[in-house]
Amino acid sequence: MATHHVHAVLPDEPEKATLEGKNKILGFWLFLGGETVLFGSLFATFIALRDQTNGGPSSQQLFDMPLVAIATLLLLTSSLTSVFAVLAMHKKNLKQVQAWLTVTVLLGLGFLGLEIYEFMHYYHEGHKISSSAFGSAFYTLVGFHGGHVLFGILWIVTLQLAAVKKGLTVVTAPKFYVASLYWHFIDVVWVFIFTVVYLMGMIGGKVG
Amino acid sequence: MGAHTHNEEVRKPKVKKESAKNHIVAFIASLVLTALAFVAVAYEVVPSGFTVPFIVGLAFVQALFQLFFWMHMDQKGHEFARISIFAGLFFVLAAVIVFVFWVWV
Amino acid sequence: MSAHASHAPKRSGLWDWLTTVDHKKIAILYLIAGGLFFLAGGIEALLIRLQLMYPELSVVGAKTFNELITMHGTTMIFLAVMPVIFALMNAVVPLQIGARDVAFPFVNALGFWLFFFGGVLLNTSWFLGGAPDAGWTSYTTLALNQFSGRGIDFYVLGLQIAGLGTLIGGINFLVTIINMRAPGMTFMRMPLFTWTSFVTSGLILFAFPAITVGLVLLMFDRLFGGNFFNPDAGGNILIWQHLFWIFGHPEVYILILPAFGIISEVVSTFSKKRLFGYSSMVFATALIGFLGFMVWAHHMFTTGMGPIANTLFGLATMLIAVPTGIKIFNWLFTMWGGQIRFTTANLFAVGFIPTFTIGGMTGVMLAIPPADYQYHDSYFVVAHFHYVIVGGLVFGLFAGLYYWWPKMFGKMLNETLGKWNFWTFFVGFHLTFFPQHFLGLMGMPRRVFTYLAGQGLELGNFISTIGVFGMSIGTILFLVNVAVTAKSGKRAPADPWDGRTLEWSIPSPPPEYNFAQTPLVRGLDALWVEKMAGNKGMTPAEPLGSIHMPSGSFLPFVMSVGLFIAGFGFMYHNYVVVVIGLAINFACMLLRSLTDDPGYHIEPDEIEEKGVKA
Repeated sequence: MATHHVHAVLPDEPEKATLEGKNKILGFWLFLGGETVLFGSLFATFIALRDQTNGGPSSQQLFDMPLVAIATLLLLTSSLTSVFAVLAMHKKNLKQVQAWLTVTVLLGLGFLGLEIYEFMHYYHEGHKISSSAFGSAFYTLVGFHGGHVLFGILWIVTLQLAAVKKGLTVVTAPKFYVASLYWHFIDVVWVFIFTVVYLMGMIGGKVG
Repeated sequence: MGAHTHNEEVRKPKVKKESAKNHIVAFIASLVLTALAFVAVAYEVVPSGFTVPFIVGLAFVQALFQLFFWMHMDQKGHEFARISIFAGLFFVLAAVIVFVFWVWV
Repeated sequence: MSAHASHAPKRSGLWDWLTTVDHKKIAILYLIAGGLFFLAGGIEALLIRLQLMYPELSVVGAKTFNELITMHGTTMIFLAVMPVIFALMNAVVPLQIGARDVAFPFVNALGFWLFFFGGVLLNTSWFLGGAPDAGWTSYTTLALNQFSGRGIDFYVLGLQIAGLGTLIGGINFLVTIINMRAPGMTFMRMPLFTWTSFVTSGLILFAFPAITVGLVLLMFDRLFGGNFFNPDAGGNILIWQHLFWIFGHPEVYILILPAFGIISEVVSTFSKKRLFGYSSMVFATALIGFLGFMVWAHHMFTTGMGPIANTLFGLATMLIAVPTGIKIFNWLFTMWGGQIRFTTANLFAVGFIPTFTIGGMTGVMLAIPPADYQYHDSYFVVAHFHYVIVGGLVFGLFAGLYYWWPKMFGKMLNETLGKWNFWTFFVGFHLTFFPQHFLGLMGMPRRVFTYLAGQGLELGNFISTIGVFGMSIGTILFLVNVAVTAKSGKRAPADPWDGRTLEWSIPSPPPEYNFAQTPLVRGLDALWVEKMAGNKGMTPAEPLGSIHMPSGSFLPFVMSVGLFIAGFGFMYHNYVVVVIGLAINFACMLLRSLTDDPGYHIEPDEIEEKGVKA
């Protein structure tokens, strides 16, 4: 535990080299289990309310497939680039880590931009959080996910800036690793959002 | 024999060097799964009553892909990660079933 | 920069308590805060019973009565018994597994301060326009703006902040128990209190996100014009009920499982026997934890979910009686043939067993859907859940406090006062709640502020109110006992009860590093194994060396204050305040992320006693 000194040679998997690192990763996995229930509850609520448009626009009228497809592609690719960042970390190449994380962040920003554009567009169509139960459920679920993306971007950028000074150590490595887990998890949640919210919404949702 | 396998485990991270290729394979698989779901909805190629189970199934496959390959849930030392995610998923499934059938009563 | 400070930065008095990350001190903080909220909730209960002492009284009136029942339930569940459980978990679990600290000391402190400020936020409602008054379950549409005042906003934001604290506390204990066990401490050698804490933490992890979502939805409906629960705009009120009980039912197991653990430790120690059926106890604990998630809709039998849902949830509920029965019998068999010592702790444990069994039995009665239509929302339900929560959990907590008090504070609680405490509380409890079964069966609805004369409800209500005085005297005696002990109690030895588990192998109270040398565990009841082998203490698993300790931090306190401020901003739609509060919070997170904590070291020459033995 007293191995906080910067080693000349990093161990092979620096994120798991210390007890603190192992604790951090395990704790984060457990947190993701809790997040699963959090998003699950939001999904369940959305599924129950998705047809309650209260006379407002329905999901079939609102959703635009190309937009969702592009957003999905951006996030999926960013998940891959964050894997590459971890691989680079295992090769102890900080420059590559920074480069891949920068790409990840840029893709995340692109995703977020699309989402903001989309929300503004819907708002003008009369689809608001206060217009119907469907509106409330949609913005809460998708917005929670968007909030996670935003937090992830800020988090990764913070780690990147800190690493400029601190370098790759057994202290910073677990932080990178955990942030990349978080980023993947956001992507996994998005897989269900594009399926349940968008694609099922475009079919017409006659499933009960 | 025992010592030998132990040795293998210790060296595991180094063996993982090839995994960049694995990850690209996983990425392409995810792309294909995603595309299948979009195509199924856009062109109505799947029998209409079957579209929802089909795309939800694809979503689960893709989610597991990412959990196991990208988040390394397949590796040793991830027992509690698996328990955590699957227990969470199980409770979510129970909640979703109830929310589908027993909310509008 | 990279050099470690070799001494703890000297912190004294209040500053030490505000910045501590030591699990033993956090335990005491939890105990004090939980105790204060327990007194507040108790006074609320007393007022409720005074209002109901005779027919058509107006001691407090209908509106205040609604606030009192809401705040009594909410306070007792979230702000009184949860923190006292966390107090015992913090004080005992790291010691029982032979760890020097929890996995995330900083997060541990943050969990406490979030809980504390959430609780304070909720209770400020009394002075800012009225407390929440929609019941502790806060059912919609009653809890929406049309029918309820600002009190509900305090409920929503207070519980949200406190709930976050509990959630991260749960994760901390899971990681601690998984990763920080001493060498040889396998899962199946863990003391049962550690096991139940483990399962309880798991339940917290999966249950609290559901209430987080529920509270967010309610907040959106109340503050931002959402329509989740507004039937006029397509909303659905059952969603709240489901989300609340997806959390709420596991919550009762979150509460009771640690009590099961305490009873197991106490009964075993004071019978001088190994716990009967240890592995079946572990299995039963895990099974109760799992089933506890599958039964939430039994709170909703009368909502019209239909026969299929009611049957499924009814059956699942009755199943829980099986593992619970296993536990009851195992405690009885542990005592069977043992050398039983009726210390105060053991009195509470023994009193727990029949009382909890009655509560469990009425629980099975309530699990039968057609019968539940009769019991629903009557005093029968009130009697049932007080039998399990007071007769079960609070008895268990008293047992745990008397048992571990010497370990936590280094002084023995007075046994004579303790026995008076037990008997007054025990008799008062049964006087209060036993008649309520019959009041319920006679048709007295819960949550109604009065009743008419001549309906046969007078005697039961009168006895019930008299009983509350007994419980109040018991509680006061406990406080007197604490005060007397603090002033002139005798110093506790390391092992006052001839204990069996690791916490009794180190001094009372333990030094800040707990174990000078990490102990080697060689069996279930680790200390008892050594005693039987004729050893004077645990065998160390490592040479005496320098011990790394985490530094204290003021950030958890400041972060919680930030959320507290933001909570007020949300309630009063003042977004400048929201931004300020959240900015404080995020600035602290940033600071925490950027500054590495080098900690400090305790060198071997500073460790007073050599070896881990007492």
